Amino acid sequence: MVDDVSATLAVMLMALVTLAMRVGGVWIMSKVAMTPRVEAFLKAMAASVFISIVVPSTLSASPRIWLAVAAAMAVMALTRSSLAAMVIGMACAALGRSFGL
Amino acid sequence: MSDLVGKRPRVTARGVWRGCVEIAPIAAFTIPFGIAFGVAASTKAVPAEISILMSLAIFAGAAQFAALDLWHAPLPLAMLVLTVLAVNARMILLGAVLAPWLLQVPLARRIGALVFLSDANFAYAMAAWAKGETDAGILFGAGILMWVTWIVATAVGALAGATLGDVSRFGFDAVMLAFFTAIIVGQWRGRADLLPWISAAAVAVLCAAALTPGWHIIAGALAGGTVGAWRHGR
Repeated sequence: MVDDVSATLAVMLMALVTLAMRVGGVWIMSKVAMTPRVEAFLKAMAASVFISIVVPSTLSASPRIWLAVAAAMAVMALTRSSLAAMVIGMACAALGRSFGL
Repeated sequence: MSDLVGKRPRVTARGVWRGCVEIAPIAAFTIPFGIAFGVAASTKAVPAEISILMSLAIFAGAAQFAALDLWHAPLPLAMLVLTVLAVNARMILLGAVLAPWLLQVPLARRIGALVFLSDANFAYAMAAWAKGETDAGILFGAGILMWVTWIVATAVGALAGATLGDVSRFGFDAVMLAFFTAIIVGQWRGRADLLPWISAAAVAVLCAAALTPGWHIIAGALAGGTVGAWRHGR
């Protein structure tokens, strides 16, 4: 169980970092020009964070979660709606559980 | 529209209100995500007041979901900060895109307009700017409505989650992975992404087995970013 003091501290630290990112882009641009290489790094990193969370967690999860991730991938590719992907992914996980996966 | 041409970028109360009203249909779409976050937080035994505080102070859905993944006692503070940093680093790009507009606005108002920066109000403000909008207040106003909606939806989910019992019946334990998968697929721009993405996945999987839990996320993110930067222009 996480105590409320360290939870609040963690949330505040994460909030500060996020605020720095929000204001940071305009601030950096007032100092230097963004190079295409830095931009390429940030763009590739944006997707890589999620890949680094999803791939290992999915591999070590149960088949019903594999089903949910595969469904979310297919729905997003077809509809471009992250809401639809999320809902159908959940539905697959729920269905998978009722079938004992 | 022609009366806007030639006017200097500014931030006005009318712009703030207009942003608030015009983003409303998009803000409605964040309600299910906020509820999903609240429920997911309650399954991680995060008390409602803490998950609501997260939405209030952090206001970044993907980062908050990622933090839940690392939420266990004792809290890995360094890892939480680094993960949130990596997840939200793309906001630097959003800011950089808005810079030519916002750098003409006085400093205090510029920072104010950026406090609620998110993907949704960024996309909305960019579209308006391209059509000749000069009032950066719309970015702020749209951000405020997104923020309030996000907090309320989180509260609903957090309070509902406490009464639902075992939410894996409804597939809620898959919500984060399904949401993140959708984000990944949405960022696909073509074959140039393949190598950075495979590098990220490979490094993350290897490090997940070798490192303290959580660090594989940082390692994978850095690997993907580095390969992306290296591939650039080749």
